[in-house]
Amino acid sequence: MKARAIECPNCGGSVELRGYSHSLSAVCIQCLSIIDTSKPELTILKQFQESQRVRPIIPLGSRGRFDGKLYEIIGMQERQILVDSTTYSWQEYLLFNPYAGFRYLSVYRGHWNFIEPAKGYPEPTTGIGRPNLLYLGQKFSHFQTAEAETSFAMGEFPWRVEVGQKVTVKDYIAPPRLLSEEVTADEVTYSVGTYQTGEEIAKAFGLATPLPAAQGVFANQPAPASNLGSAWLTGGLLIAGLMFLIVFMAAVARKEVVFDQRFHYSSADPESARVTDVFELKGRTSNVEIASETNLANDWMYLDMSLINAESGQAWDFGREVSYYTGSDSDGRWTEGNAKDRVVIPRVPSGKYYLRLDPDMSNDGGSHAVTYSLKVTRDVPTYWLMWLALPLLLIPPIWRTIARGSFETQRWAESDYVSSTSSSSDDD
Amino acid sequence: MMTNLFLGNLKYWLYGLTLLGGVSVAQWRGVSFASINEHQVAPKSVRDNPGAYRSHYSTYTRYSGGK
Repeated sequence: MKARAIECPNCGGSVELRGYSHSLSAVCIQCLSIIDTSKPELTILKQFQESQRVRPIIPLGSRGRFDGKLYEIIGMQERQILVDSTTYSWQEYLLFNPYAGFRYLSVYRGHWNFIEPAKGYPEPTTGIGRPNLLYLGQKFSHFQTAEAETSFAMGEFPWRVEVGQKVTVKDYIAPPRLLSEEVTADEVTYSVGTYQTGEEIAKAFGLATPLPAAQGVFANQPAPASNLGSAWLTGGLLIAGLMFLIVFMAAVARKEVVFDQRFHYSSADPESARVTDVFELKGRTSNVEIASETNLANDWMYLDMSLINAESGQAWDFGREVSYYTGSDSDGRWTEGNAKDRVVIPRVPSGKYYLRLDPDMSNDGGSHAVTYSLKVTRDVPTYWLMWLALPLLLIPPIWRTIARGSFETQRWAESDYVSSTSSSSDDD
Repeated sequence: MMTNLFLGNLKYWLYGLTLLGGVSVAQWRGVSFASINEHQVAPKSVRDNPGAYRSHYSTYTRYSGGK
């Protein structure tokens, strides 16, 4: 693209025109005069103040590639809106390719959008709480309506640039896309932006230095956890796998009762300790369940137990208290404790074993007695570890959902719907 | 679709399958957090004189509260 140069009628500086006959106005970079380039006379329309000068982030004349086409920046304008007494401003770059026409780049606090004219006319559609537009089969949710004003411009434009030029802008979002409706007294135009990161823009223009980092969350910025649906589906599949494991483990457990005997103990017995007959634990190293059942009523017993390997002497010591109380008071009938107990000893190798039992009961001077049975079962399924895995498996999708919710809250905090935290963005 | 589901959540799959593998091994080995004191030597005389053996839990003292 070869640029045509004109002489600024105000300061005599050279003003390059790259937009051929499309340019209707240009701003002299030296004296900031707005020149009417639609006529050979080159009249001055107006002049920006020096104090209004804004330095473009990407210099005019830079060339960048988008969608495989090379565009040149031929103009830049700064626009601003006033919301709740606060002025928000952003830059818009006018891109030109003689074959593809005009495109735009907008940037606000490090968030970029590549903007093209809409290819069709969006239709209003139903929405909950906010207006929506349907464009090329995609639903865009209304985000914000504001009156944008041109506060500064430089370069050339296919329209007559005016200081304070105002237009009502309605933004609709379907991240990463943004549909803008610009309304003036004469016309309504639509354009579609696609969110770009600073890295993507720097790469498109071949910039050596990185662009300023993005701050906050922008209207059509894609959520970082965008694959929320597939994360939950993955979680569902993993939980299905966990359920299968639970069933499988229960099915393959030996559940072999190797010892079952009833005992009697009285606090009057001179010697409480005893040992059981030897029983055999078969199979791989696995757990052993010792279940006790007593006839305790308003009493307790403590059973000091050891599972001892008859050959090696290896011992597992453990103590269990069993107590059961019942009665009634003004609140009705109550119970406390349980006459049954169960303990699982982990990782016991196969071999011949016996139990050493040393029961104890209250030594309050009264007579206490209990009949209890002990049942030893080899390799029983235990589910606590599996159930513990269940919430752990769901941590990633839960975390992503929370992160998404927080992101959407930040997004919509900048909209006309501050109290709403829901999103119009679709998963996947 | 399944490829995208797997590759798009690769870290999650690795985490989940590692977790499932871990609990499977633990389950298979019979892991339990029950309060068990395991030691290597119990005297041979236990069978002849059970009362002489003092296990780790033989000094139990009971809390006598309750309703």
